[in-house]
Amino acid sequence: MKTYWITWAALLVFTVVMLSADSGSMPQTAFVVFMLAAMLTKASIIGANFMHLRTERLPLVVTVVVGLLVTGTILFVLIAPDALRIHHMVTTP
Amino acid sequence: MTYAATQTLTRWNGGVCPFGAGWRKVMMWWFIVTDGLLFAGFLAAYGYARLLAIHWPNQASVFSLRYIAAMTFVLITSSATMASAVQAAREGRPNVALRFIILTTMGGAVFLGMQAFEWRHLIAEGARLNANPWGEAAFGAYFFLLTGFHGTHVLTGVVVLTTTAIRSAMGWSNAEGVEMAGLYWHFVDLVWVFIFTLFYLL
Repeated sequence: MKTYWITWAALLVFTVVMLSADSGSMPQTAFVVFMLAAMLTKASIIGANFMHLRTERLPLVVTVVVGLLVTGTILFVLIAPDALRIHHMVTTP
Repeated sequence: MTYAATQTLTRWNGGVCPFGAGWRKVMMWWFIVTDGLLFAGFLAAYGYARLLAIHWPNQASVFSLRYIAAMTFVLITSSATMASAVQAAREGRPNVALRFIILTTMGGAVFLGMQAFEWRHLIAEGARLNANPWGEAAFGAYFFLLTGFHGTHVLTGVVVLTTTAIRSAMGWSNAEGVEMAGLYWHFVDLVWVFIFTLFYLL
């Protein structure tokens, strides 16, 4: 059970650091990259420790993680250029 | 069996149980993957609207981020108590597991109460599905739909946990049943990590 409470503490630390970064004056790109990295780290910690993916057999872990990450990434990557193009069309006179 | 099929089976090396888990756990993981992709689609649509928006409201001026952080604290803590419940159930300590399940259920109920308070506050300020006082119309729609969809999952989780607690108290639930409820609850926590970052912070 100790592992779970260490995980809990790590997640809280990450949350506090993210909130501090939000109220700080980080450059926008660095801020976005930092937030996305922190978000994925938190998600990985939850998946590995709370959901026990760390101790599951590799085929299950690969199927779940690759299934979610690849499909999720495809969704974002395919949709973003279109949105940026429309944004550019709207904001450019 | 063909040579290629034999080679594939050798590489897979899982025999009749490739994932090394019972059918309940495998089915629960498939559910989590599909539900996770549903949220991914939702968040991708939100990202699209966000990139299109000319003036997206500054979240810090709309929400109390300390309050949202407190909601996050409650959900993370309930995940830790749920993991402890699963561990206790696996170790054959049903009474300890039951106490942790009850604590987790209480955490879920507190989170729902806090979310209801947040909704009430924003509705009082004029936030609607199709309009809001902060400008971008999609902001209100995505706020209610994303947090509402997640809140529905939390509510479902509270019902599942209550059922698991009753079943554990009656001696009808085994360690696997507690573990399945735990997997669902951690998934709800996992999704909140994405909503908290993408909707409230970025």
